[in-house]
Amino acid sequence: MSDEVIQREEFGDVAVLHITTNSVDAISAAAIEANATATAMRPITVLDFANVAFINSAGISALLKFVVSARKAGHKLFAMNVSPHHQKIFKMVEMSRFMPTIEERDLAAYR
Amino acid sequence: MERVLVNIPSNPIFERVVRASADEVGQAIGLARERIEDLKLAVSEAVNNAIEHGNRREVAKVVEVVFALDAEKLEVRIRDEGGGVERVDFSRRVVEEQNLESGMHRGFGMYLISALVDDCEVSSSRQGTTLTLRLYRKDGANER
Repeated sequence: MSDEVIQREEFGDVAVLHITTNSVDAISAAAIEANATATAMRPITVLDFANVAFINSAGISALLKFVVSARKAGHKLFAMNVSPHHQKIFKMVEMSRFMPTIEERDLAAYR
Repeated sequence: MERVLVNIPSNPIFERVVRASADEVGQAIGLARERIEDLKLAVSEAVNNAIEHGNRREVAKVVEVVFALDAEKLEVRIRDEGGGVERVDFSRRVVEEQNLESGMHRGFGMYLISALVDDCEVSSSRQGTTLTLRLYRKDGANER
């Protein structure tokens, strides 16, 4: 597994964190949550799940670190390119309340 | 009845092996893609639970996974070699404000298992715990 599990893109007030691992699980969790820092985030921070094929509860715990960091910094956190299955899981555990899903086209205005 | 057996040491990296097996078994019996994703997540949670809470990450201890298939259902049995549990809590768990602040970000696994499979049961003794998951085949037919 590559050490770089997140590639960061920034424009204006937006940071897009592209998750590059396809499995957000107990193995990748530590490397993912290490990126949940105030310096990695912007007032609008977006986690991009385009490459993610699998998420389990250990992965959800890692993603919640981004929720905590964003809230502490007063930033907004969104998810994009979330598969229908993962949208279902996020809804089941009410993750979507804290990290709503947006469409990639919604970011166009910020570019 | 057809069976597929996968035994792994209690190292979380090997949970991915069981998950890949669940995917292959699901495809082999013609489950719909969404049901396969549900199966993979439920099996993943059960195996991680067996590694972490059952075998307490002692790599010498094995997690035994049996995929057993008959005309009616797919049954997955996940057994650890731990000391057993008093009870298992399958109640609904969601992300809550107070948990965010306290850093308590775990505990969704058993709820997800119970919500994603058709039924599940636990048997436990001092020799270990077995979690049995069942997905019923719809009319025994291919679901695709």
